Amino acid sequence: MSQAALSAFSVMGDQIGSGEPQTASAQSLPAARRVVYGEAARRLLLRPEATSVAALVILFLIFSALSPDLFPTRQTFISVLSVAAELGIVSIGVTLLMIGGHFDLSVGAVLGLTSYVATVLMRDAGVSPIVAAPAAVLVGALLGAINGALVVRFRIHSFVVTLGTMLIWRGVVIALTGGFPIIVKIPPLFRDVMSGPLLFGFRMSMLWFFAIGALGTFLLARTRFGNWIQARGQNEQAARNLGVPVDRVTICLFMIASGLAAVAGVIQVARFASVDALRGEGMELQAVAVTVIGGTLLSGGYGSVIGTMFGAVTFGVIQVGLVLAGAPGHFFRTLTGFIVVAAVILNTSVARRMARSRPLAGFRRGNVETDAALFRDFDSATAEAEVEGPSGFSAESAPGSRR
Amino acid sequence: MTGAAAPRAASQGRLPGGRGSREIHTARRKIEPIPDGAVPVMEAISISKAFGATTALVDVSLRSYAGRVLALLGDNGAGKSTLIKILSGVFPPDRGELRFRGAPVRFVSPAEARQLGIATVFQDLAVCELLSVTRNVVLGREPLKGVGPFKWLDMKRADEMARSALLRLGVRWERGLDERGVNISGGERQSLAIARAMFFGSSLLVLDEPTSALAVRQAGKVLDHILEARDQGQAVILITHNFRHALSVADDLTVLAQGKVAAHFRRDEIDLDELTDLVARIA
Repeated sequence: MSQAALSAFSVMGDQIGSGEPQTASAQSLPAARRVVYGEAARRLLLRPEATSVAALVILFLIFSALSPDLFPTRQTFISVLSVAAELGIVSIGVTLLMIGGHFDLSVGAVLGLTSYVATVLMRDAGVSPIVAAPAAVLVGALLGAINGALVVRFRIHSFVVTLGTMLIWRGVVIALTGGFPIIVKIPPLFRDVMSGPLLFGFRMSMLWFFAIGALGTFLLARTRFGNWIQARGQNEQAARNLGVPVDRVTICLFMIASGLAAVAGVIQVARFASVDALRGEGMELQAVAVTVIGGTLLSGGYGSVIGTMFGAVTFGVIQVGLVLAGAPGHFFRTLTGFIVVAAVILNTSVARRMARSRPLAGFRRGNVETDAALFRDFDSATAEAEVEGPSGFSAESAPGSRR
Repeated sequence: MTGAAAPRAASQGRLPGGRGSREIHTARRKIEPIPDGAVPVMEAISISKAFGATTALVDVSLRSYAGRVLALLGDNGAGKSTLIKILSGVFPPDRGELRFRGAPVRFVSPAEARQLGIATVFQDLAVCELLSVTRNVVLGREPLKGVGPFKWLDMKRADEMARSALLRLGVRWERGLDERGVNISGGERQSLAIARAMFFGSSLLVLDEPTSALAVRQAGKVLDHILEARDQGQAVILITHNFRHALSVADDLTVLAQGKVAAHFRRDEIDLDELTDLVARIA
């Protein structure tokens, strides 16, 4: 990425970083502090989340301009987040898997099949949802383990394996449901816990989404398994040579992806009180789109769960925003397509960007002491101007971004 | 594990020029003979290996001792990589025996070899490009904190481990430990891999072409690190087809040709011209 482009971006970066206070006060800041902000912005731009946050901010502004009365309202945010939550939960699993260097096209079908399992357990076997829901998630994990085992055992590309299992599971769902919706009576408590109203009209699914997102981020950034996921995606042979149980990591990742698809399936069952033959169809590709918008490299090895969460919200904003703007339905696909392509273009150069991008004046690249100084300064500078910015971009998460 | 750098052995065999600025040095130099009764860290006895109709190794024997560098020379296809893959447990030999510290061993997987302290550094496979230096160093041996099943990375200790691993090899890492793999040069990658192997308690260091694809100065540094590893009591097997590099650090040299041991020398029995002649004649 050229310097010109980078500096063009740093304007955007300022907005991402901590909202208006920075840009507004940039003139009055002492030069040293401006460099601190600039350097912080530069580092933020090297983060995988940068693309999705930029997309989100831009789309938000556009839709707010298009329908100023309808779009920036709480009702909109509620709809956006309920779209984002279910898709987001599926996407988080797909993201972890993709960082590990694999694809999963079967998550949509797994969502359908596990929804069916949960529904039938409750309707025909009369099982309580407290048992049925975990059972469905277990079935999901099992289906994921099958994917993983096939990939590991036969050394076939996961794309092909999961393409096959996608068709198989979908066929099974269609056969079992006979193509008709199955309706089930859902105990209200269960519905409320999974997808019921939360404070201010937000749905419980949002809480699940955030909780799973936080767990996923922690898993990726702060655990041994997370380190192994990234290593698996970047250099499988090196990881294997160093004693990382690469095959086990792969199988676990498939189990997580399918398990989370099942969680989303259970949430949908609770919300719709039914399951149909096409439940979850198309979600596998939407999840890939969300993941890519969220800054995860298609080639694996690098990405972010937080980015994916922003990506899912972006998806929700497009969907709801277009409806509110009165656009025809097919616009949704077209616009999403454009954003996916743009995101990939921005993200694929991330490695090159990292290698090329030079620290701003006064900062040696990645020096521990200057880093400490930088973030101390950054912290105190933002302390008074702390904004309720998107999580993950608050000042205290910045030191973590160094790794 | 985190012990301070081992006291540097008296610089016997140390080359003139000093660390970091040394030239690659190929003149004759005095080598201590292997002491009587010393048990090799790794011994291969009459190893043979064939892949289908292709014979890769025939009756190859070698011994690698602690504190000595064994250079394995040979052209492409001479069987060098097959031999090191057998030594590092990637596949077993068809015939013959491996002995580790005198005891026969039969590796089922590279993990078993690694557990015995056999660290193999493969060319180009040392570093994950988008992980930080710290994460690269501790990969596979991440320090954890937390209780019971809830354990997470102890990044502070990981940083300490990375720093002391590099320091122990005499690498002064001037940039941050958060530097990503993409920004690390080829020579630094090899240094990092050697540091990592030594830090995690290897007793045999197998290096596959660590200096090919490196600029002269970087190669010199990597060779220095090999000497440092040797001085700290590692047994080192260095695979290379660069005679100068081999002569400048090795104590013993084994030349492989067409899957057989074609010649074996102590370093002071041969110089560059003789070695070049010899290999030309064999191959």
